[in-house]
Amino acid sequence: MKSSFWFEISLARRFLEENKAQTMLIVLGIAIGVAVMVFLSALIDGLQANLIQKTVGRSAHLVVGSADYGAANASRARAEHRVLLQDNTQQNVAPMVEWRNVSAALAADSRIETVLPVVEGSGLIRRGQADCAIVLRGFDLQRGDRIYDLSNSIIAGSRNAPDGAVLIGKDLAEDLGITAGDPIQLELSGREALSILVDGVFDLGMSAANQRWLVMDQRQAAALLGTGDRITSIEIQVKQVFEAEKLAREWETHLPGYEIESWQESNASMLSALSSQSSSSYTIQFFVLLAVTLGVASVLAISAVQKSKQIGILKAMGIRTSSVARVFVFQGMTLGLLGILLGFGLGLAMSKAFIIFARQDYTLLMKPLTSAIIILTTMVAATLSAYLPARKVAQINPIEVIRNG
Amino acid sequence: MAEVLIKARGIVKDFGETVKTRVLFGIDLEVRAGEFASLIGASGSGKSTLLNIIGGLDRPTAGQVIIDGTDLGSLDDDGLALFRNQTMGFIFQSHFLLPQFTVLENVLIPYLIYAGRATPAAEKRALELLDRVGLNHRRDQRANAISGGEQQRAAIARALINQPQMILADEPTGNLDTSNTEKVFAMLREINLDLGASFIMVTHDRSLAARTDRVLEMSDGMII
Ligand SMILES: Nc1ncnc2c1ncn2[C@@H]1O[C@H](COP(=O)(O)OP(=O)(O)O)[C@@H](O)[C@H]1O
Ligand SMILES: [Mg+2]
Repeated sequence: MKSSFWFEISLARRFLEENKAQTMLIVLGIAIGVAVMVFLSALIDGLQANLIQKTVGRSAHLVVGSADYGAANASRARAEHRVLLQDNTQQNVAPMVEWRNVSAALAADSRIETVLPVVEGSGLIRRGQADCAIVLRGFDLQRGDRIYDLSNSIIAGSRNAPDGAVLIGKDLAEDLGITAGDPIQLELSGREALSILVDGVFDLGMSAANQRWLVMDQRQAAALLGTGDRITSIEIQVKQVFEAEKLAREWETHLPGYEIESWQESNASMLSALSSQSSSSYTIQFFVLLAVTLGVASVLAISAVQKSKQIGILKAMGIRTSSVARVFVFQGMTLGLLGILLGFGLGLAMSKAFIIFARQDYTLLMKPLTSAIIILTTMVAATLSAYLPARKVAQINPIEVIRNG
Repeated sequence: MAEVLIKARGIVKDFGETVKTRVLFGIDLEVRAGEFASLIGASGSGKSTLLNIIGGLDRPTAGQVIIDGTDLGSLDDDGLALFRNQTMGFIFQSHFLLPQFTVLENVLIPYLIYAGRATPAAEKRALELLDRVGLNHRRDQRANAISGGEQQRAAIARALINQPQMILADEPTGNLDTSNTEKVFAMLREINLDLGASFIMVTHDRSLAARTDRVLEMSDGMII
């Protein structure tokens, strides 16, 4: 470090202290800009994280199905709250015969958390005049807890679902006007109607599941659907949710004859909405930064010109042009730093207040990377807006000052 | 006889880009170490221009300035800045003190420009210089809070802080009344004798010039 550094710092400090009102005005300007950026980021990132958490929380991240049945079909139907009203016999042809090997292979992948074989079929529940379309889903209830957490989602009855009993969604129970302990008339496509007991009512927090799902043990469901030892799909939760898409493509190459759909694919429209929300927020932030930069630059340009006499005399006494330029860089950095500190405080307070007064139920999220980007761009903007207008002043010829007294 | 400290040879200076006006017409000049020279002449005769060229603040159109063996023409702008800082003290008609700093800090500025921070030794020297110019009691006041005569004396102390071999003074008493003029001149002469620094002092005052070691008179860009 050049020894002149310390003098440059103290000169920068004196110049800033000399005009305190101006300095405070600039700091406030930067702080408001930073506060807007922090406010937007914390709110939008918080909202999006909350939405994604809701989406991937209690649901499969990957759905493996046989290629002709179409995993895409199955999971998209679930995401779109639609029921596949296909003929079960046709579905049952789907040759997931080797599902045990496939499941074992998937379970051995350390990036995969839970592997859940599922047998699925559609049907109707008759209750008086009304028919309710349902999806019968059979899986190992113990293991299924790791994805759906049924044990903690039962709002009436129990989760045991012994032979001859099912669990049903809360909205479905309401539509049918029944609760735990009541019998229902179940009509699976292509099969005889049968009476079955409701053992428990669950609330999974997803309307598709709450409105349509009938859940029971895998073997029992297979018996009712007549699918034998075959299953319909394998549902998977992965450890890193954003790796799901990559894992889907990777495993598809290892499993010919199977199709794998990730949660990103089945929620593509939501994700693209989120990303355009982010882009518009970045655009706003960019223009805020631009406005602040131009404002700060114009104030500092005037202040630099006002100092040209003093700079000229310092140059006569031997200060170098680069040294003078650094004095302005340090001024910009100091203003930027103060503005950032104040702006972060202001921005976080604003977003907290917004959450409280607008009664939002999600938590703010200030990502370290976002913070780093805000800090970095603000520092660069503040430094440049101090340095660029000062370049000319730094080059002043001392004689100009001396000649004019 | 002491050796030559300042040597100017064939200094020519033109101003203007398209229409060139010659202001200095080939000036030769030598000032010995410890010598106190004065430069007189009509307004516009080129005294300031010559002094600025000798002081490395401006570059000649032709000719050479050699200070203590260093050809100023061989230095780049940063090199020249450092050379000025280390070798020369400047005193102008205006004091040019920085209003953001105290009197003591102003005196230290040429030192701070290259050293960054004041050492106790440098601070001690600054206080001694303030003593010498009679401003010890003003040292912690802002530079713009003291009188004109005091400001000019602070500027003298500032010119001396880096123990320069030569002092260039362009009408240092031009803005002062008679009693302050006398005080400041006496001070410069005393510094010259005590510290052995060479002086070139531009002045309008012939009686003041008569009290220096050598009087150089300029007329229309030449020394007569
Ligand atoms: N930067 C400049 N551009 C154009 N002309 C200049 C410049 N500096 C000085 N001059 C001219 O050079 C001449 C000498 O000026 P100067 O050296 O200031 O004289 P003095 O100090 O003896 O009064 C004057 O005619 C002045 O107008
Ligand atoms: Mg002059």
